Amino acid sequence: MKNTFTLIFLLFIKNYIFSQLTLGLESNSQWYIDDDKIILSEEDAEDRLRTNSYLKADYSIGNFDFTTQLEIYESKSLLNYSPDLNGIDLGIVQAKYQNNKRNLEITAGHFYEQFGSGLTLRFWEDRQIGINNALLGGRLKYSPVEGINTTFLSGKQRIGMGFDLSESTLYGVDVETNLSTLSSWNDTDLSLGFSYVGKYENLEKEYDLLPKMVNLFSGRINFSKGNFYSGAEYVYKSKDALVEYGIINQESQNTGNALLLNFGYSKKGLGTDITLRRLENMNVYSETGLGGNIYNTGVINYLPALTKQYDYALQNIYIYQAQSNLSFDPLQKAGEIGGQIDLFYKIKKGSAIGGKYGIDIALNGSYWAGLNGEFDILDRSYDTDFLDFGEKYYQDIGLEIKKKWSKKWSSIFSYLNQFYNKKYIEETIGEVKTNIAVAETTYKINRKKSIRMDLQHLWSDSDTKNWMGGTVELNFNPNFSIYAHDIYNYGNDDDLKQIHYYNFGSNFTKGSTRVGVQYGRQRGGLLCVGGVCRIVSEASALTLNISTRF
Amino acid sequence: MEKKIVVILLTLISCFLFSQNKLPSISLQNLNGEKVAINSLDSNKNPIILSFWATWCMPCIKELSTINDVYEDWQDETNVELIAISVDDSRTLKRVKPMVNGKSWEYEVLLDQNQELKRAFNVITVPHTFIIYKNEIIYNHSGYTPGTEEELYDTLIKHTR
Repeated sequence: MKNTFTLIFLLFIKNYIFSQLTLGLESNSQWYIDDDKIILSEEDAEDRLRTNSYLKADYSIGNFDFTTQLEIYESKSLLNYSPDLNGIDLGIVQAKYQNNKRNLEITAGHFYEQFGSGLTLRFWEDRQIGINNALLGGRLKYSPVEGINTTFLSGKQRIGMGFDLSESTLYGVDVETNLSTLSSWNDTDLSLGFSYVGKYENLEKEYDLLPKMVNLFSGRINFSKGNFYSGAEYVYKSKDALVEYGIINQESQNTGNALLLNFGYSKKGLGTDITLRRLENMNVYSETGLGGNIYNTGVINYLPALTKQYDYALQNIYIYQAQSNLSFDPLQKAGEIGGQIDLFYKIKKGSAIGGKYGIDIALNGSYWAGLNGEFDILDRSYDTDFLDFGEKYYQDIGLEIKKKWSKKWSSIFSYLNQFYNKKYIEETIGEVKTNIAVAETTYKINRKKSIRMDLQHLWSDSDTKNWMGGTVELNFNPNFSIYAHDIYNYGNDDDLKQIHYYNFGSNFTKGSTRVGVQYGRQRGGLLCVGGVCRIVSEASALTLNISTRF
Repeated sequence: MEKKIVVILLTLISCFLFSQNKLPSISLQNLNGEKVAINSLDSNKNPIILSFWATWCMPCIKELSTINDVYEDWQDETNVELIAISVDDSRTLKRVKPMVNGKSWEYEVLLDQNQELKRAFNVITVPHTFIIYKNEIIYNHSGYTPGTEEELYDTLIKHTR
């Protein structure tokens, strides 16, 4: 009897555990190999083989979900990741209780969250740029009636490995009301939102002039009717200390604000969108002293550059980054103002120009400038006017045309014109104007085999001048491909810098498992993912990426 | 003895309840601002394709455009529904609606702005496409090269016939 009982009990447990357990593994390793042109610094060269690995487990029992993530950075984290990511440790430990009948969700442990568009608060993970700013604490989500959602949270932010936490404590409240759900309108959608984020930080005695609380308040509205939609959000940030070169200046305290406007119209075959934004002194970090750090450690809110994220290597040499911070040295900057516009249009199938398959056209442009104002460098104080455009930081105009010629052939043509104010964006010198053209074509050899090629050229009279590049990709079947890619800075005035950044590699996919091997050179500069950038240095390496889920 | 029967019964029920691949209890907004609960998606009668994509991901757009050209045929033959899960964050989120319309895609599009669902499915890179049928993931594939859609189609036909 006892044995039978044990057996059944084990069966029971097995069912509970195994049927609901999922695992995800990602491992990225690089072995840095010097070649004749690219040589690592002595310090970096001490650890030539490095791995970033993440093993995540999720399991659920009834209304409970548990998540944990183990992170391994050995012998060190990959080049240019924060040195705080080091060794083996838990990254995430989370327990979540969900009661759908009561519209209630309670989370304890590490969690990710975003309020509105993220201007006040965003906790997220992006492994490619080494961001994991999860909050360790508690969160309650409750929906008293359909159409009203509330979130309350508090905790300390992860600023290194899972249990390396910020000194400060964060508090947040978000309320979102969907008025159209409440009043059951049909073709009209109206929603309102309100967010509060507070940071309590008790710094050492020498900083007793600083406010202990920094508060962010935000209100937002979204309205859409038929094919038209629009949105607006305003954020006010209470007084925060100026941080320059990592040094807190408690004599200079300034408020900040953000305004985001969005309008769009779209129907079948046509879509257009305009986004306008003004940011003034909007950076917030969970520790004041982290202000402006290059690893994005301790960021609380999300201030991405609102420009198109381009697809090709040469289009990603001069990437704009949102200029949201306040600084007096070396340059006077208080924020940015500008906007972007997008247009998507499909020339119909069967029309004279569209041909059998139609043509996809995408047009985009953006313009960003600094805030004009009066800066008192000695006093570290400033004054700006609301709609006064200052120094031009960035501008781009892009056109992309996609055309399918036949069942087997398709092509993409892309043109981009950029103005990049290197002096202000990178705080170095110079202005760069570029013209970039890309042509890509794919040919389907048979049902599952194809070849893809692209050619790219960048024209510029300044900075590193002309570049050219290209890719050849052979896809034997959906599971196996090889590629070769090269960009070449042939126009560089310095002969030693006329370098080929070549890469060869192969990808193998089987179901959930993906293995990629690559050998080649990485161009130094900004690597940006989702509007957040980190600086990467030149390196020559053999790379192995493995990911799987089960 | 009675106890034993109760236990066996409970075990059987637990097998029934928990051997199904439960979809995560996450709700995402569609392009009309309505919340859609992922675990309310019904794949019992007809298969569902979940395709994780982003406006900045060229292979994703190629995949969805290619399927869009044959989507009507697929639906006629297999009653499949494709749900395109955009993982665009607020940097590029506003581009989703005009792009979907500009390309005349017929799919239901859900917005996974802070990558909650992406994480729940352990999706590392996009595109990553899943076929869910009778509450089970019967096929999944990461990456897109021309021809991947043929594998999707073959799998759909195999399971629905």
